This record gives sequence, C-alpha cells and structure tokens, in this order.
Amino acid sequence: MSLFTILLSALLVNNFVLVRFLGICPFMGVSKQVDSAIGMGLATTFVMVVAAAATWLIQWFILEPFGLPFLQNMSFILVIASMVQLVEMFLHKTSPSLYRAMGIFLPLITTNCAILGLAIMGVQNSYTFIETVVFGLGGGLGFTLALILLAGIREELQFADIPKPLRGAGIAFILAGLLSLAFGGFAGLV
Amino acid sequence: MRLWKDFVRGLWGENPTFRLLIGLCPTLAVTTSAINGMSMGLATAFVLLCSSALISLLKNVIPAKVRIPAYIIVIATFVTIVDLVMNAYMPDLHQVLGLFIPLIVVNCIVLGRAEAFASKNSVIASAFDGLGMGLGFTWALTLLGAIREVFGAGSIFGYSFVAEGATTLGIMALPPGAFITLGILLAVMNMIAARQKKKTS
Amino acid sequence: MVVVLAVIAMVSAGILSVVYGTTSVIIEENAARALESSVYDVLPSATRVDIIRRSPDEHGVDDPKEMREQEQRTTLIYQGINEQDQVIGYAFVGEANGYGGVIRVLVGVDEASDQILNIKVLEHTETPGLGSRIEDESFRNRFVGKTIEDPIAINQDIDNISGATVSSRAVADAVRKGFVETSSLYRGGE
Repeated sequence: MSLFTILLSALLVNNFVLVRFLGICPFMGVSKQVDSAIGMGLATTFVMVVAAAATWLIQWFILEPFGLPFLQNMSFILVIASMVQLVEMFLHKTSPSLYRAMGIFLPLITTNCAILGLAIMGVQNSYTFIETVVFGLGGGLGFTLALILLAGIREELQFADIPKPLRGAGIAFILAGLLSLAFGGFAGLV
Repeated sequence: MRLWKDFVRGLWGENPTFRLLIGLCPTLAVTTSAINGMSMGLATAFVLLCSSALISLLKNVIPAKVRIPAYIIVIATFVTIVDLVMNAYMPDLHQVLGLFIPLIVVNCIVLGRAEAFASKNSVIASAFDGLGMGLGFTWALTLLGAIREVFGAGSIFGYSFVAEGATTLGIMALPPGAFITLGILLAVMNMIAARQKKKTS
Repeated sequence: MVVVLAVIAMVSAGILSVVYGTTSVIIEENAARALESSVYDVLPSATRVDIIRRSPDEHGVDDPKEMREQEQRTTLIYQGINEQDQVIGYAFVGEANGYGGVIRVLVGVDEASDQILNIKVLEHTETPGLGSRIEDESFRNRFVGKTIEDPIAINQDIDNISGATVSSRAVADAVRKGFVETSSLYRGGE
C-alpha cells in the first residue's frame, strides 16, 4: 500500500469525521465560523502527526518488546495528553501569535477521539513509522477539510429561516449527513 | 430523594446525547442496529458507574494538580477491563464495536462526570449519577440504533419483519443515515422539551 | 503528588495484568476455534482439521530470544482430513493491507491437484457496499482453481471489483503471498 493511497484514504475515502465518525464533538462544537474551524483543524492536524509518531515509538519499542499490550490504551492517552501540553508550552514560548490563534483549541484536542483512534488504528494496520506519520497527516487534513466545509455552510445558514427545533445542532447534523453522502462519492476513487 | 434526582438527571434533563450533545462519536458509529447501540451504551454505563464511584472514593487522596491524569488512569483501567472481558466472552460483539470500545476512554461523558460531579460528591451519589448518565446514554443509542435498523435492515433487535429480499433503505445503515437520523431526533427532542417547558410555566 | 499518581498507575497496571492474564488465554482460544471452524468452509470435504507448525529454519535453538523470533516466523498450516483418514487439502491465512486496514484471508487448497478450492475473508475494514464486496461469492470464486503456477494478480488472471481496485488487489496479494510462503513449507516438509 503506497503512502499516497494511505493519505488519500484517510483524507477523502475514509474521511475521519464523515465516514469513520471520529472527532464528532469538536466537529459540531467548533464549526460555527470558518476562521475558528481553520485554527482548530490545523492545531488538530499538528497534534495528530506528533501523536502518531510518539505512539508508534511507544508501541513498537516499549509495549510490544515487553509484552504489555494491555497498557496500550492508558499509555497512548497519557502520551497524547502530554503531547498537547508540550505543544501548548512550545507555542507559548516560541510563537505568541500562533499561540493566540490556536491556544484556546489545544486543551480540547486531548479528548478528540480522532487522535487516540488514529493511534490505535495505526497499530492495528501494522503501519511502518513513515506510514503512520502520513496516516496522521491524512487524518488531520481530512478532519480540517470536513470542519471547514461544515463551517462554511453553517455561516451561510445564519440568516436562513430554519424551523425552530432544528436550529443549532439539529440542522448541523443533517448538513453533516449530506456532506457524508457527498463523500460517499469518493468511495470508488483509486 | 436526592439520590433519585441524581439518577434521573442523566435520563432526561441532562441526557448526554440529546441535551448535552457529548459522546457523539460512538453514538453515530455503532448504532447500525438496536442491539449494537444498546451494547455500546451498557459498556459505557459500566465504565461510568465504576469510574465515578472510584474517583469519588479517591477524591481526598488525589492532589488537585494531578487530578486529570489520575482520572484518566482510573478510566483507562476500567475501559481496558471492559475491552478484554468483552473480547474474551463476547467476541462477536467485540468485533462489531471494535475501535469504539477503547475510545470510551476519551468519551467526554466519562471524564466530564468525574470532573463535574464525582470529584465533589459522595460515593453513593456519584454512583447513582454515573449510572443515570450511563443509562441515559444507553437509551439514546438504543433508540437511534432501532430507528436505523428498522429503516436500514427492516428488522428490530435482529427480528426481521419484511419479506426476504425486500428493498430497504440501505442508506440508513451507512454514515449519512446516522447523521441525518440524529439530526431529526434532536429536533424531535427539542420539540418535546419546549412543550414540557410551556406546560410547567 | 507524584507519589500518589505513581501508586494509582501501579495499582491499575497490576489489576490490568491480572485481567489480561486470565482473558488472553480465552481470547486466543476463541480466535483459534473461530479459525478452525472457518477451515471447514474452505475445505468442504474435511471432517477433521490438524494444525501443523512449520518454520523456515527448523534447527534446534535454545536461546529464548531466538526461540521467540522463530515462533513469530512459524506458519500455521491447517490440514484437512476426511473420514477415511486421508489428507484432502490444506488451508492457510494470508494477509495484506487494503483500503481501511488489514485484510486476512483464509485459503483452502486441494491436496491432489494443488488448486485453490475456496477462499474466505476472515477480517476486513473496507468501505461498506464497495470494498466489502470482496466477501461476495462472485468475487471469491475468481480465485477457485488457481495454482501456485498462476500469477494470482489483479489485471492478469483475476478481475477486480469495479470501484474497489485497492481492496481486490489486497485480497489477491494476501492469497498469493500466503500461497507462495505456505506451499514451499508444506511441500518441503514432506
């Protein structure tokens, strides 16, 4: 399986949000404006790539050689939480402007199940290190794409006359369903 | 009486799925049938009950600064136990729920209840709260799964009621069906809640 | 502060290792039983299944590390035996990466003619409705009658499922790789 296929699969065909249902909470929560959608998407992509690399190292250099597969879940989530913390501290020190743009999204990323899901799937598929990183990149960009698309539509809908009970999350889910239907068209790709 | 309130809150007033809109990933992903939704809900309810009770028990021992990592360890332990036990005794179900069992650990409901309720209340109250939230989550998932199963596969809890080979709305079993069904269900729940509010005021 | 966290982590790791110890035996037994019952699907005339272990270099090793490595290289071959105690064929598992993850295929081969009798997809995470069609009989039948001399490759002697090229190719790869590996071990060992 080529790196390009992995990237394309994670980005479009098996889009993390719209097909695999990972990261739905931030997808619904941070998709009201395009600007914040872009910030959240890029911050998540960054953490995903870093976390994919870190969890790969843990799996194949610690858990597997020492026969500790049952600690996978716990070690992965703790590593992801620490990664998020590190990224936050690093951004705070090096790039205050970037920190201001992304800072508020970072704590939310720990509980984004797309990241833990990505780490576990990478192990299940026994990807190599490079493949895992590319998988992380594709997953992150796929998340960003879905988020921006939904945010774009929701911005347009602000002034639409939507029946009252559907307003807010209701209509957002139906929109996501239509997007998911559209992404179904990518299934025949490759 | 207070305990009853703690229990009921999760079932309707603060239902995690319909009112708080959290824990949505498994809600959409595994509800291809009623039984899958119910199993996922019960697995989550078990983790919620155990972790809420234990975290409440340990609330005076855990220093405030490291409480989040400590909660995560407690939750991850119960999740891994559920994962292993299901794999051993219910391998078919484990296969269906797959990735979403280990992902209970990042379900915002579990950590959310630990932080918002269990860390401040007694063990008994936390257990009731955890169980209520868990069962609230379970009925929401079962309902969503049942609707998708009825339209998508023409059956309910595995009992088929359409003729063999009949055309069903296959889209309901696919990802778009999950999103659209939940969107419509949310609207219905909003309508019911609005009517309730009107009555009481 | 750190002490409390360390104690909690150690206690939970201890509990998990106990649970893992008891459940892992059952999990492995379940998997083995499930696989064995699938063997009857691909070797229809078998009434009994024997498991043979073959590793590429069967010399006496006593170093534990080497033994573990050898164990990992060991291939399990399932030998189908009929009522008259005659060996009627053998089955093996082949693996390859598809679109959504690992695809595992069980392949049954006739003892006398060395032709593939049937294949069964044990595990896959392909797109429902598209890649998942690798499970269909019409696709699986395309492998029936192939021998080790055949290329067993998409666009050569196996037609792919339209819209699911990657999944089809992965199945062909899994069958071919497993066949080549197992065939030499099986025939060589006699």
